[in-house]
Amino acid sequence: MDSKLFPEGVQRCGFGQFLIWTAVILGFFTWGLYSAVLVLYNGIGTTGLDNYFGFGAWITFDLAVIALGAGAFFTGLLKYILKIKQLEKIINLTVVVGFICYSGAMLVLTLDIGQPGRAWFGYWHPNVHSMLTEVIFCITCYCTVLIIEFIPLVLEQKQWNKIPFIHALAHNMHINMALFAGLGAFLSTFHQGSLGGMYGVLIGRPFAFREGFFIWPWTFFLFILSAVGSGPVFTVLVCGFMEKLTGKKLVDFKTKALMGKIAGTMLCVYMFFKILDTWAWANGYLPSVGLTFDQMFYGVIYGKWLLWTEIVLCGVVPAIMLITPAIRNRPALLYTAALLDCFGVCVNRYIFTVQTIAFPVMPFDAWQTYAPNWVEYASSIMIVAYGFLVLTLVYRYLPLFPQERELN
Amino acid sequence: MHVKEFKIKWGMVIDIDKCTGCGACMVGCQVENNIAPMTKSDPYNYAQALTKDRDDASNKLRTLTWMNVYELSNGKAFPEHETAYLPRPCMQCGNPACVPVCPVVATDKNEEGGIVSQIYPRCIGCRYCMAACPYHARYFNWWDPLWPEGMDKGLSPAASVRPRGVVEKCNFCHSRYMEAKNQARMDGEDPMNLSEGAYTTACQEICPTGAIHFGDLNNPEHAVHELHKSPNAFRLLEKLGLSPQVYYMSEREWVRKQGDNYNAGGSGH
Amino acid sequence: MSVARRAFIQMSVGATVGILFTPTVWVALDDVSIWTQNWPWIPRLKYGEVKSVPTVSKMCDSGCAVKVRTCAGEAFAVAGNEDNPLSGGGVCPLCANSAQVKNSPNRIKTPMLNGEEISWDKAKEVVAEKLDAAGSSVAVISGDQNGTVNEVFSALLADKGSDAFYMMPCDMQAADKAWTGLMGGYGQIGYDLEGADVVLLAGADALESWGPTVANLKAFAANGSGKFLFAGPMQTKTAAVADKWVPVPAEGMAAFTLGVAYYVLQAGMTVDVADFAPFRAMVMNDYSPAKVEAATGVKADRMAAIAKQLLAASNPVVVPGGSVAAHGAAFALNLLLGGAMKAVPEFGKAVSTAMSRSEMLNKDILEGVNADLLFVYEANPAYALPEQVKAGFTVAFDSVNTETTASADLVLPTLHGFERFDDLASPYGVADATYSLGVPVSKPSVNAACAATFVLGLADLGFETFEEVLEAKAEAVGADMDALAEGGAYVAPGETPVAAGLAANVLGKAAVPVKGSGALGLVPYTLLNVGTANRATTPNAPCTISNNQLLGDKMVVMMNSATAKQLGVGVGSKVKLSGGNGECEALVQVFEGVLTGAVAAPLGMGHTVGDEFSKGKGDNVYKILTVSSEAAAGASTWAGSTVNVAKI
Repeated sequence: MDSKLFPEGVQRCGFGQFLIWTAVILGFFTWGLYSAVLVLYNGIGTTGLDNYFGFGAWITFDLAVIALGAGAFFTGLLKYILKIKQLEKIINLTVVVGFICYSGAMLVLTLDIGQPGRAWFGYWHPNVHSMLTEVIFCITCYCTVLIIEFIPLVLEQKQWNKIPFIHALAHNMHINMALFAGLGAFLSTFHQGSLGGMYGVLIGRPFAFREGFFIWPWTFFLFILSAVGSGPVFTVLVCGFMEKLTGKKLVDFKTKALMGKIAGTMLCVYMFFKILDTWAWANGYLPSVGLTFDQMFYGVIYGKWLLWTEIVLCGVVPAIMLITPAIRNRPALLYTAALLDCFGVCVNRYIFTVQTIAFPVMPFDAWQTYAPNWVEYASSIMIVAYGFLVLTLVYRYLPLFPQERELN
Repeated sequence: MHVKEFKIKWGMVIDIDKCTGCGACMVGCQVENNIAPMTKSDPYNYAQALTKDRDDASNKLRTLTWMNVYELSNGKAFPEHETAYLPRPCMQCGNPACVPVCPVVATDKNEEGGIVSQIYPRCIGCRYCMAACPYHARYFNWWDPLWPEGMDKGLSPAASVRPRGVVEKCNFCHSRYMEAKNQARMDGEDPMNLSEGAYTTACQEICPTGAIHFGDLNNPEHAVHELHKSPNAFRLLEKLGLSPQVYYMSEREWVRKQGDNYNAGGSGH
Repeated sequence: MSVARRAFIQMSVGATVGILFTPTVWVALDDVSIWTQNWPWIPRLKYGEVKSVPTVSKMCDSGCAVKVRTCAGEAFAVAGNEDNPLSGGGVCPLCANSAQVKNSPNRIKTPMLNGEEISWDKAKEVVAEKLDAAGSSVAVISGDQNGTVNEVFSALLADKGSDAFYMMPCDMQAADKAWTGLMGGYGQIGYDLEGADVVLLAGADALESWGPTVANLKAFAANGSGKFLFAGPMQTKTAAVADKWVPVPAEGMAAFTLGVAYYVLQAGMTVDVADFAPFRAMVMNDYSPAKVEAATGVKADRMAAIAKQLLAASNPVVVPGGSVAAHGAAFALNLLLGGAMKAVPEFGKAVSTAMSRSEMLNKDILEGVNADLLFVYEANPAYALPEQVKAGFTVAFDSVNTETTASADLVLPTLHGFERFDDLASPYGVADATYSLGVPVSKPSVNAACAATFVLGLADLGFETFEEVLEAKAEAVGADMDALAEGGAYVAPGETPVAAGLAANVLGKAAVPVKGSGALGLVPYTLLNVGTANRATTPNAPCTISNNQLLGDKMVVMMNSATAKQLGVGVGSKVKLSGGNGECEALVQVFEGVLTGAVAAPLGMGHTVGDEFSKGKGDNVYKILTVSSEAAAGASTWAGSTVNVAKI
């Protein structure tokens, strides 16, 4: 029915099947939309957040998807600036995934702030000292860059591309993409860092506070490293998932392994500094303010197992796996390592968001615990559903995978 | 650490040995600053019926208590047990954790007197300042402010009602400061050199034991000037370097010890 | 055509650019900050002249002297009254919220006869008819402990040939029974907490709920060098600031006090009364420290140390709380020590046929009320004493809906404290006779009326309005009405107490600890922010109620870890407390400031009628209190209540 719109020379599932799939996604999306309406109409009181946990599932979700979406800028940087040719086979996907992650994060943020009507005040009354101002600047700008990077792909849609003007526009945009890739890399690096800096500057929160370099606390750099250490393999995971779903080969394994190698290398660097940072924090900073490492943890919910899971199981282990060619080159192990890696970065973002504020700084105060309620889950799932929907449409109608024809 | 200094430094010295935790200060504060009572249902919002009730005052993580009284325990078993009560307004830190993090300058420490402001019409409700403040002095308006029918007749003229979705906190009853300065100007006195008692906060005024002392820490004519230098005086979490303008005092050592963390010693950051 | 289109595009682009150069867009954007602040449902403030008007507030039992802050004539807040010794600038947490209660939707808006709205004239007809029919079977329950309104009500009773005037249970009553009844003393007992150098609070939670709380707090704060000791079964808020907490079970308070008296007598202290010798013999024989220790669990050396402190003091005072025996023992000890206990003379009466305060306190409501016609004035017996009160026809006066108004036949809305004349004569506990006047601050916001004026219309008591009564009262007191209206208090110093005897006979028997048969001692405690027997909590106060009293809609009871272990419960366990003829549900909190073998439960919650701030919140502990008869003293008490606790 819509086969005229498919990319050149590829097969797609029947329209009925496509409709059913889309309907399922829309089902989830609608559920999430309902929760979002509740949040906007009734207020954020509808969620599980409270005065102790002003940040919760949404901010964790935002930070996690932004870290995982880092595949876009880093791959773009390597391909367009460092000219690693092989990455062009997956670059489109990284851009789309990045776009989904960033636009999704911005949607969640509009729910998360109490006065969405004032969201643009970050530009209107900026506080240049705030890491969050930097985040607002860079995320919005970088999202624009991602849209610009995304447009040529849309323009390359088979029917549109027949129009000479659009064809020429797409071509010209491609030629100049290095400029945007560079801009994107700059913006993205900064806000990944600022997101980490957001926590590192919290002088009142010993769990997160870090010394640093110039105005940037160490978490600034750690967040950049962890993002580039996981974003690329997230793209690989998305790609692998799409291959499983569609039953087609979309990107050759060599490219995926290369992405794994890139992420693995960065992850190794990250883990080195993360361990060093944790050690210095536990033995230097904490005692200086009268606290001990053990005090930073509480029961099972905020136990040390979280930190060990993050650093060892989902940090050192995947780093070794990804850096070792023998392991990396076996698909099952590559995916395992990628999963661990991505999970690790999510745990890291969760710990920094939630455990930071769960720790009672005043000695007479008590640990409080936080669990998101269905509203926060549903609205986050809405974003995931939105991602599925975008990928579904992009995969069906746009030439996402340049290798698809030759591999199948 | 960068501590912002002013010629006038409004501060409190709260005598914990005099505080019985009766709660009058908290009630006085809510009334003065138009903090709506916590009501479960919102008769004006039909969508509320679709989901859970609003919170009642028993949910201490959702209340708006600019002034909040904490109960302290010496941690010992019966009969060696002791308790104390610690009222906690905003600390009006000299080096506030909340001010530099606000992305939109909705909170600032820039006025003579050193009170950390909160500009409600500018606040976007990101709650970053709440994450930053270790004293939990900042509160978010989770729901629309709502007074039971007829009760909005008797609102205080001192503070505009905040909409939901913004952060608020104690500002040492700032409108009373403005009034006191105006009064001084009208009386031909120096508004920058207010006499003791010319400017009082609602909590200090209502406290039956006078446990809350309020004044200019820098002014030798104000009682707090001497009180805050007492050997029994301390500030909360001094080691973090936030430099609060609110001091506490107690003759009980275990109470003073609970003002900061000592488990690993440490002389501060 | 093409030209037109081009022109259209040009115009559009031009207009867009042009508008961007005007302030329109930018001002509109900036306005977002204003309109996102001012939604139509956000209440706007009304501005106007701000004034502070002195009056009295009677939300709490003793009453507070306050200044009501008004803006454009509308009351919005309450501040203390520095000029009045009852306040000294402070306010209790209940009265602090009084302005909000005035505007509460829980106000009774008009007279109601069996649920039907009626006019005041009709109400008067109904009451007059019932009054004729009832003959002398008329009773009054008053929730006001110190107002001249009681004179009006008691004069009505006298007119009808009845003496059935009841006060809600209070320490003032136990004190009067002990002092006037048993010891033949004169005046009302008071305590100079500011002037004392050692204060032993023997069961009196003086810095939280007992007596003139705010005046006590002021005295405590002003008393720089005095030592405060608190004896009681629980580390109350008073204990938190006291120099020492001495754990003593409530039923053992009298014995404990006599145990301290033992050392004082041993030191040779005497009182010049007829029965001093038998008193001394009784204490030395029956209340030796070893015996008291066995009966109450309080260590002998503890009592010795306290006695030593009291003996060393130049102006000590013992302030009792609880049973008549505990009061008698404390008064005896005070007479021995000769310290800061005072006898406060009663002010002259305004209504000549009215009862004296002591006469008003004579009848014991715990022993039951039964009358054909019952007037309840701003009291809530249906909540606090559901089993004791029966009447053929009940007329309830109150400003807000309560259990009592809900079950009354006729409900008559009284003016809120800030809308009426009222007064405050020497609340129990003050060291000096103190008289304060309350004048209307606001206009009535509902169809309410002055209760006393209504009663004056029922019989010829010599006055037309309550205002006239108060003028007569001021005259009887010897105070200047105008000065009183400006917020000052009339103060006459308390006198040295003189007793006819020490009631050796009665005290010896009455002081023996009597405990119920339940497994655990029940420690009921009052927090003013939670409410009193007559007044539920207020709109802003729930924020101040800790999760140690209320968690969600569940009451929280506290016990120490040893007791919890013994019961097999922990923090958050759901338990059922059964005692008296009732049951309560609660959650357990472990608090080490409770006597082992006892459970502390907050009074004042579990209302079934009222606003959303009190209704359905927690459970009503009055249901599980046991009334035990103090046979020897001829009184009854709640002290010694026990409960059985079952995990559910």
